[in-house]
Amino acid sequence: MAEASTVTAERPKHLHPHFVSSEQQFDAAKMGMWLFLVTEILLFSGLFVAYTVFRIWYPEVFSHSAELLDWRLGGLNTIVLLASSLTVAMGVHYAQTNERKKLVRALILTICFAAVFMIVKYFEYTGKFAHGVFPGVNFDPHGTAGGHDYAAYNIPFAAQFFSIYFVMTGVHGLHVLIGIGLFSWIVIRANKGHFSSEYYTPVEITGLYWHLVDIIWIFLFPLLYLI
Amino acid sequence: MAHAEHHITPKKTLIQVFVALITLTAITVFAAQMDLGPLNVPIALSIAIVKASLVVVIFMALKHDNRMNAVVFLVGAVFVVVFLVLTLFDTAYRGDLPNTVEGTIMEEQAEQDALRARDPGPTPVPPSQ
Repeated sequence: MAEASTVTAERPKHLHPHFVSSEQQFDAAKMGMWLFLVTEILLFSGLFVAYTVFRIWYPEVFSHSAELLDWRLGGLNTIVLLASSLTVAMGVHYAQTNERKKLVRALILTICFAAVFMIVKYFEYTGKFAHGVFPGVNFDPHGTAGGHDYAAYNIPFAAQFFSIYFVMTGVHGLHVLIGIGLFSWIVIRANKGHFSSEYYTPVEITGLYWHLVDIIWIFLFPLLYLI
Repeated sequence: MAHAEHHITPKKTLIQVFVALITLTAITVFAAQMDLGPLNVPIALSIAIVKASLVVVIFMALKHDNRMNAVVFLVGAVFVVVFLVLTLFDTAYRGDLPNTVEGTIMEEQAEQDALRARDPGPTPVPPSQ
């Protein structure tokens, strides 16, 4: 505490007045993010519980309906999201090692991967809508595509599976879009040289958010597409 | 307090984790194609949990982080389990007990005991003369 006065004289620009040190500010921001992530996990867990309840009630309907979802597209999106998690982790690494150009490049790559994810999702959704596979009361599968006779999937409680599918992937997709927005902001700031090994809190906590979005997909992919 | 250095995860570790995640994705797709019957769901979920743990521990660097963050995360995970298990106690056992009889199990038991006392049935024959 004796050295407090000397420290105050050279407070870095990023340090808010109500924090003692950069370290304390960083830890506080990070714990706040983890608390937010827990609320996110609980938001999604409501959907996972709905999935589990309906799957236990109608297991054969769920495994039958899952055949309509293309595991190749889901698998591609899994690889794309895992790659984006890697580039985010690399970005944090480059922020810590003061490699500004590499940080910007890693974050732009992340945005590109996220965009690919959303484009694949767009084609999946429109492919389903074209054959009357809608969430809720408008569920009316018809036509044939990819060797599937959609009308054969119009069985009781298939609508519940697809409603759960659309809500879970929809809420997840919304998180991906928010992530794209956040990273665009971070890229602009990184390009201006706002971040260094001394201060990279926004990169770190947005990275944590992005990894959580990845984790949610790690569970969604097998539950919806594979089993 | 001494200035704590942040742990910098080496690039090599990050790439190794990425390769492990892709490998596990391939394994889960392969296992799903095999159709292992009742093992399908447990295998898919176990692989997903391993993948999620890798992301949390290495990519999110919880391994080298302030322990408090790990506590926050684990408490969250525990409450997901509480949420799921307590909901399933209701939904998974609906209809198992036929609630068609008025009164309690004790009353039903007492009624059966009374019937048995009134009509005990044939008395057992003694084994020897």
